[in-house]
Amino acid sequence: MPEKSVREMGGWELFHYSLKTKVFRATLMGALVLGLVAMAVGLSSYTMSMIDRYIGESFGLAKSTAVIAERWISEDVIAHMVMDIYNGLTPEERAQTGTPEYRERFAHVMNEKAFKYLKAILKDMLETGDVDDIYFGIFDRERQALVYICDPDESEKTGFWPGEWETVEKTEIERFYSWDGKGKLYDISNMPPYGWMCTSGVPLRDEEGGITGFILADVTLTNVAHGMRRFVLVYVLALLATIILVGWLMVRRMKRMLVQPINAIADTAKKYVEDRRRGITATDHFSRLSIRTGDEVENLSLVMAEMERDLTDYEEYLTQVTAEKERIETELDLARRIQADMLPSVFPPFPDRSDVDIYASMTPAKEVGGDFYDFFLIDEDHLGLTIADISGKGIPAALFMMTCKTLVQNNATAGFGPSEVLSAVNRQICQNNREQMFVTMWFGILDLQTGRLVAANAGHEFPALKKPGQRFEIYKDKHCFVLGGMDNTVYKEYEMQLEPGTKLFVYTDGVPEATDKRDQAFGTERMLAALNEPCQDDKCQAVLERVQLAIARFVGSAPQFDDITMLCVEYKGPNGEGGGSCRR
Amino acid sequence: MTITKKQTGSTLELALAGRLDTMTAPELEAALSKDMGGADSLILDFSKLDYISSAGLRVLLSAHKAMLGKNGMKVVHVNDIVQEVFEVTGFSDILTIE
Repeated sequence: MPEKSVREMGGWELFHYSLKTKVFRATLMGALVLGLVAMAVGLSSYTMSMIDRYIGESFGLAKSTAVIAERWISEDVIAHMVMDIYNGLTPEERAQTGTPEYRERFAHVMNEKAFKYLKAILKDMLETGDVDDIYFGIFDRERQALVYICDPDESEKTGFWPGEWETVEKTEIERFYSWDGKGKLYDISNMPPYGWMCTSGVPLRDEEGGITGFILADVTLTNVAHGMRRFVLVYVLALLATIILVGWLMVRRMKRMLVQPINAIADTAKKYVEDRRRGITATDHFSRLSIRTGDEVENLSLVMAEMERDLTDYEEYLTQVTAEKERIETELDLARRIQADMLPSVFPPFPDRSDVDIYASMTPAKEVGGDFYDFFLIDEDHLGLTIADISGKGIPAALFMMTCKTLVQNNATAGFGPSEVLSAVNRQICQNNREQMFVTMWFGILDLQTGRLVAANAGHEFPALKKPGQRFEIYKDKHCFVLGGMDNTVYKEYEMQLEPGTKLFVYTDGVPEATDKRDQAFGTERMLAALNEPCQDDKCQAVLERVQLAIARFVGSAPQFDDITMLCVEYKGPNGEGGGSCRR
Repeated sequence: MTITKKQTGSTLELALAGRLDTMTAPELEAALSKDMGGADSLILDFSKLDYISSAGLRVLLSAHKAMLGKNGMKVVHVNDIVQEVFEVTGFSDILTIE
């Protein structure tokens, strides 16, 4: 695969990887393989038939010659003459074959009438037939030699005189002797310097049926090789021409059927994207594309057209949804701000009072949450303190929270004690609470004159209490059921006396349940440890900031799931004499 | 969270495993609204429940109220963490916990 996409390529590279080239190459390869196989088959059958023809011709000629010779010439007399001399030679003398002395021993045979006749017939046959030589010879089975009796070839190089001999394979000799007269008798062998040679033969027999000798016809197969070469040349040229033509036609067809439509689709897609970038969304590029190839490419273009329409519709829908979502986001943001504004957030809230220090914070999770804190003066000496957590999140929780906060304030300022306030709020909430929402709430009223705290806990976290000179500790107060759960719940209140310098810390479950990346909770122990850290500043604000920092360090980059809300109040006594109890 | 349902006669028993919080409470709510109609009493097995949040408590409260007119709802095998939540929120006074 190329390293870059087709879109980034140019010129030669594009050509190299284009569909056209691939098709051309594939056609070429396929046709070439096919052509070569066909050529091999053709060539072998051509060769076989050529060889067959040569065998037929030479055998036929040998046979005709044999018939004439047998009928008209007493060739056996000549054969006997030659063989008598030949057999009478010593091995040394015989080895001299081809020399003038050797030839001299047989020279008189050539003067025989029968010899002359035979030679004339052989010569005529040689001239009429398409063979290289036709001659009369006898196989010397004992010495594996072919003894020439009469050879019409008079050339010094290739012709043989009577009595001359050459070595022959034993198998060839046996083949010729054991012939049963059926089919064609021939032998093909490589005989340097003639090369591949086919020798056909027909035996001549005397009256008793004994073989007197053979009329043999030689054909060199060099012609066959020439023919093969010519055949291959013509064939390959024709094949190449055909392949190139077919390849070119295929490419043309491919271009029309595949490449052009695909390029058209690609160009259209490009235009489509450009239009999108320019902000034009209602387009019909693909619908205007008229590809009529009647195959998958046409199908592709139709699918693209459909996709374009669907995308346009979808984009419209998406735009609407996004606008709607943005509107909701904005409103949610506004709700979050309004909610935050509902909580007293100016510190110190009572700058001219020395009897109390107070600080509170709420860190909302992503959405609008349901936590809230509140503090308010019921009268000159009574401070109302609330911390609450509404089940659930989002706008419903926020709306519920506002109701709760108002109800608590209304009931408290009407002069009720904590248990009455919670009971009243619970009843009021339960009256119309189809969503089954509930609130956990701790509510207390602190008498700033005496330090007496009356409080009630509706299923909320235990407060942490720090007596002057001591450490923060969890105060296991009396617990009642959550608000909004059951309308007949009775909320019991409890009392405690706060010495000047006593601090009270209340919080929502967002503090102990803040989790880190490994899903471990911050926990009450870590909260207490943070509250009790050695410090320079013992103001309520500093206390809250210490806890805040400890949570942030613990949680790290894990997301915050719940609101984290805390409130700390220190009673300093009617004249502000308490405080300053920092652990160092 | 996974919920395993078992119905014996008119008693519906649901075994909860995992965390019952804002994300998973709707699952329990759906399971309850589907099967609670045909049951006279409801048993919630919390032996494998690790954690419960206020959203989970809300579903319990709804179920509790729905079963008040019938043979009631029982929560069994509550672990320490969940029990603490029940106690802090006062749910232990309302629910039948065994």
